[in-house]
Amino acid sequence: MVDNANALLSAKNLYKSFGGIKAVDNASIEVPQGSITGLIGPNGAGKTTLFNLLSSFIRPDSGEVIFDGEPIQQLQPHQIAQQGMVRTFQVARVLSRLSVMENMLLATQHQSGENFWNVWLRPGQVIKEERSQREYASEILESVGLSHMAQEYAGALSGGQRKLLEIARALMVRPKLILLDEPAAGVNPTLINKICEHIVQWNREGLSFLVIEHNMDVIMSLCDRVWVLAEGRNLASGTPAEMQKNTQVLEAYLGQ
Amino acid sequence: MNRTVGDRLGNSEPAITAIAKLFPFHNLPFATCMEGYIVSLIIFTAIFALFGLGLNLQWGYTGLINFGHVAFMAVGGYVTVLLSDLDVPIPLLIWIPFCVLVGSLFAALLGLLIGLSTVRLREDYLAIVTIGVSEMVRLVALNEEWLTRGAFGVQGFPLPLQGFAPTLLTRIGMLAIFTGVIAIGYWQLWKWLRQRIKGVSRQSLINSSLAVAGYLGSLGLLLYGTVIIARQLKLAEDLSPWLLGLFLLGALVGIIALYTWLAQQTIPRLPDWFVGLSLVSCLLSLAVGLWIYQFAAHAIYTYSRTSIKTGLMFISVLVVAVIFWGLQKLVRSPWGRVLKAIREDEEVAKALGKNVFWYKLQALMLGGLVAGVAGALYAWQLTTVYPDNFQPLVTFNAWTIVVLGGAGNNVGTLLGAAIFWAYQTSTRFILADVVPLDDARLGAFRVMIIGLLLMVLMVWRPQGILGKKEELTLGR
Ligand SMILES: Nc1ncnc2c1ncn2[C@@H]1O[C@H](COP(=O)(O)OP(=O)(O)O)[C@@H](O)[C@H]1O
Ligand SMILES: [Mg+2]
Repeated sequence: MVDNANALLSAKNLYKSFGGIKAVDNASIEVPQGSITGLIGPNGAGKTTLFNLLSSFIRPDSGEVIFDGEPIQQLQPHQIAQQGMVRTFQVARVLSRLSVMENMLLATQHQSGENFWNVWLRPGQVIKEERSQREYASEILESVGLSHMAQEYAGALSGGQRKLLEIARALMVRPKLILLDEPAAGVNPTLINKICEHIVQWNREGLSFLVIEHNMDVIMSLCDRVWVLAEGRNLASGTPAEMQKNTQVLEAYLGQ
Repeated sequence: MNRTVGDRLGNSEPAITAIAKLFPFHNLPFATCMEGYIVSLIIFTAIFALFGLGLNLQWGYTGLINFGHVAFMAVGGYVTVLLSDLDVPIPLLIWIPFCVLVGSLFAALLGLLIGLSTVRLREDYLAIVTIGVSEMVRLVALNEEWLTRGAFGVQGFPLPLQGFAPTLLTRIGMLAIFTGVIAIGYWQLWKWLRQRIKGVSRQSLINSSLAVAGYLGSLGLLLYGTVIIARQLKLAEDLSPWLLGLFLLGALVGIIALYTWLAQQTIPRLPDWFVGLSLVSCLLSLAVGLWIYQFAAHAIYTYSRTSIKTGLMFISVLVVAVIFWGLQKLVRSPWGRVLKAIREDEEVAKALGKNVFWYKLQALMLGGLVAGVAGALYAWQLTTVYPDNFQPLVTFNAWTIVVLGGAGNNVGTLLGAAIFWAYQTSTRFILADVVPLDDARLGAFRVMIIGLLLMVLMVWRPQGILGKKEELTLGR
């Protein structure tokens, strides 16, 4: 079921144990180019750990990850982001004492102003790049409805707004794939709908997503395909409708 | 012999002698020592401003806990003076700056080594390792006598501008440069103040300024009066030290209680009290600054072959100005934004494609480099360098300065350094005249008071003098 020629991301037989706990036990996953792929499973199934493995925040004990045709499991987390795969966190993490705008600008890649020689020796170029990035960031903030907060501290945002900022910030990286860890958790229903609309919109513009989510409405409305994880292992994969009827999947959730 | 400052400054005589009379505590002849004293005060302030700026880059901006900052200063200082003492056929004017460059690069190298060995570990390891390294550096300096001459100290090394005898024109040029730097500083202060005042009605501004001026003025007079009385009591010697100490403590606690109560009464009725405080503090710093400036200016104007310290003051102020400017550019750039992101949450920085490890190394190295330059200036100011000059207490001073001004704020660090040295100098005279303690105990007592003041600051304004209050209340 793995090994698709047009897979953007494919991970095979990832294994990671913490002491005695097999958090991820030979799990595989695949995200086709241009898709919105779902990842579901009961609490403690190892979904977040799988994200950590994919993004190199944790090293797998074994297994391989291929992104955009290149093996990436040896890369550092920041290198993976630079390659075009950005992850978000289950509990939104914003940089509290930076403004919302600064949070956005930080995510820009290949800025000459991130090298201190350039700051001193080529201030003109640094300022020019910064200005164009600021414009791009304003556009994104405008579209997610956070532009009125742009100059506020990110720490002053509500929980839902933080989730939005985290997704908007991931977009600033101009990635090929975004890994979303429970984007709808703790967000009010109106905002959930808004987030979903944005994800669909960005997906149409060519961005791929891998989404962990407990809210089945979100999964049903977004995903082309869903992977189910239980106790660290692949349980099933298919369309969302198929998964809702799959007895094994239902058992895994009910067994909780 | 007993010249007054007025004699030296000619035209401003009455003002100066009047001010001189305000300081009845000097056992030294006021006139001859004041200028030299001010010059060395400026040098120390500049050195510790630089030293604090290095720590602020590492801790204030990047969140790296460095409890051994003095190690960078020691390495920078020792390498500079030992290297410059070598016999080389190069004019000192080129050789000394080169030695400073090498010395500060060695300090940066120390930052690199500390970083490589710890940055990958948890944060608290860095704190522990830096303490260890700073003590190690000091012990190496103490024991490797073939290199550092150990406890005998290094002396007789060349000093910058040694034997420099500028013409009148050069001196005027130096004065112009010095004045320019000070003027730029005040210009920035004015811009900041204007921002504050904007949108505040004239009447409210006048009211709050007068209230603050009255508050601070009366507080100053009360403290001054207490000091005068205590001094008379100490001189009369018919009060036991215990009673005198008790009197001082009682007076101090009474004054603090009274003025806390007064502040609680007035602040709710003065909505713009903070603007008033800003205005009054700016005026105050302008007055004090100008008063100090005239001594410095006079020293530069009368620069001669023998006034080594004046040259050092000139260099120190220029170096601080240039490095401060460079650091301000950096911390406001995308580079500085990455450092702040690491301070806030390094996992996020990683997830957004920033090489956190490399940026931490850069912060450690650059902060170390700046402290290394401070070390060179420090060595020149001391003229004899002993390992004991680099006790852990010096690191504590840097932390005091940074915390006082507000972490993550370079202007605050400059202010912190100025306040710290104003405290150091004024207490040396005033406390000695007033407090019934011998010299060694007095030294400890002064440090104790700093600790006490820091505690008060942490209660009243935990973000530091120039820190932003909002930043404290933000959730993660
Ligand atoms: N750093 C860690 N150390 C020890 N155990 C961990 C760690 N991270 C996750 N686990 C364990 O791995 C299992 C999977 O956790 P997680 O990936 O967070 O599940 P999910 O995101 O699917 O709810 C859990 O049993 C959890 O306790
Ligand atoms: Mg999870």
